[in-house]
Amino acid sequence: MVTDTADVLGVPPQPAPDADSQGFWDATANGELAICRCQSCRLWLHPPLERCRACAGHTAFERVSGTGEVYTFIVVRQPSVPGYLENLPYVVVVVELDEQKGLRLTSRLAEVDPGKVRVGMRVRAELVPLAGGDFTVPVFRPE
Amino acid sequence: MGTALSGAAVVGIGRTAFVRKSGRTTLAMAAEASRSALADAGLTPSEVDGFTCYSTGDSAGPLQVAGAIGIDDIGWSTGVMGGGNVVASVVAGAAAAVVTNQADVVVVYRVLGSGTRYGKANAAVIVGGEGQFAAPHGYMVPPQWFAMWCQRHQAVYGSTSEDLGAIAIQGREHASHNPHAIARDPITLDDYLAGRWVNEPFRVYDCCYEVDGAVALVVTSAERAKDLPHKPIYPLAVSDASGFGGGVDRWDDMTCMYSREAAPRLWNKTGLGPKDMDLALMYDCFTYTVMATFEDFGFCAKGEVGEYFRSGRATYGGDVVVNPHGGLLSEGYLHGLNHHYEAVLQLRNEAGDRQVHGAETALVTAGAGPYGGALIYVNEAW
Repeated sequence: MVTDTADVLGVPPQPAPDADSQGFWDATANGELAICRCQSCRLWLHPPLERCRACAGHTAFERVSGTGEVYTFIVVRQPSVPGYLENLPYVVVVVELDEQKGLRLTSRLAEVDPGKVRVGMRVRAELVPLAGGDFTVPVFRPE
Repeated sequence: MGTALSGAAVVGIGRTAFVRKSGRTTLAMAAEASRSALADAGLTPSEVDGFTCYSTGDSAGPLQVAGAIGIDDIGWSTGVMGGGNVVASVVAGAAAAVVTNQADVVVVYRVLGSGTRYGKANAAVIVGGEGQFAAPHGYMVPPQWFAMWCQRHQAVYGSTSEDLGAIAIQGREHASHNPHAIARDPITLDDYLAGRWVNEPFRVYDCCYEVDGAVALVVTSAERAKDLPHKPIYPLAVSDASGFGGGVDRWDDMTCMYSREAAPRLWNKTGLGPKDMDLALMYDCFTYTVMATFEDFGFCAKGEVGEYFRSGRATYGGDVVVNPHGGLLSEGYLHGLNHHYEAVLQLRNEAGDRQVHGAETALVTAGAGPYGGALIYVNEAW
């Protein structure tokens, strides 16, 4: 249990899974990246929903390739978020996954020179442990 | 045309000082601004029967504030959860309450205390909802979200740091003539470019100046307004737009914003267009918010905002005066209600040294990214 301020500020935000998102976190814990998908019209949905936003069909989590391209990105240089107050800068990317136009996942782009990141760059997801708890999260690396 | 809101008028404006750290409660500041707006309107608290505000759960609510200025009986009251995205609809809601006889005199306010600073997220460590996916990666505050949008614009349209700088520089120049502004020292392009990075492509001068303070407006019917001390300012029409579930990373094209949808609706409702605006109070939580929404409202083509500002078209003597008070970037971040205050002051012809000569129409926008709205004020009855 986290008890003092210094510890709190050293720990990154932890996700609070709910009934709609639990499948995402179950999959990452098993080393897989899975995204919510309508079982009727096959639309991918992120963030996940209990029923499809287009056809109200039932949804389930299905594995995705984890590949895609950088839609946009930032280089974070101002400490603003717990767990990320040191070791700056870091790069956060909005990635459009190959599975569907507009299907986006926002995460860090690891092991990259911030000056070399470009919109349109190809990337691939990799699952890593999140500090401060039991969660596994996807981060991207240049493909 | 959808201009029924002009049956109402803004008849009073009030505000506190805008300061970094007031040491005051949000209740105290909201009460001061509300009393000040009522005094300006020539009305007393006992004549008020409507109270409304917006907040992110961070400040004193309308019933508390009404009670604090001695009002024991409020008829119409709403507290709206939201930020810049709801400003236009909250002000329009007050006007609609008046036009539909739900209330006679409504106070609208926004107050921000030192407990609210959107640029940092030091307290939150457990994140649910849509934020649960990105927050663990150190991504959860607005100066990060809208830097994302800006980067996309730079990649697609070739807009530059110098273009953002032109917006920041003009805001500061305008603020230098505004004694109420918190940041009044003019900056040069060199100053802008030497500003520390916040989140690339945003530097410090791309981000609004968060302050403590409150702003209040008094709204009543156009009929009653005739007997009050100031020239009534009419909200002609409003248009809001919200999309993609409000998620900041899902909007289909980050080179534009909510205004892509809201702008044509507003122009269609009124038969007016960008050329008809004397003033544009553009919501400027970030310089890029001005860039994207200014394009969406049709003042210029994509990628031309930097040159538009550099060539003087957005200031005195140009096509339209953008943020004569200095905006959220330099007057202070009062969550957009200070844009309404300035619009009313200018359209009354009471803005002193920074008066935009002959101003009759003002576009006032609020919001950024996937949600927001805009309202047009005029100073003659339609």
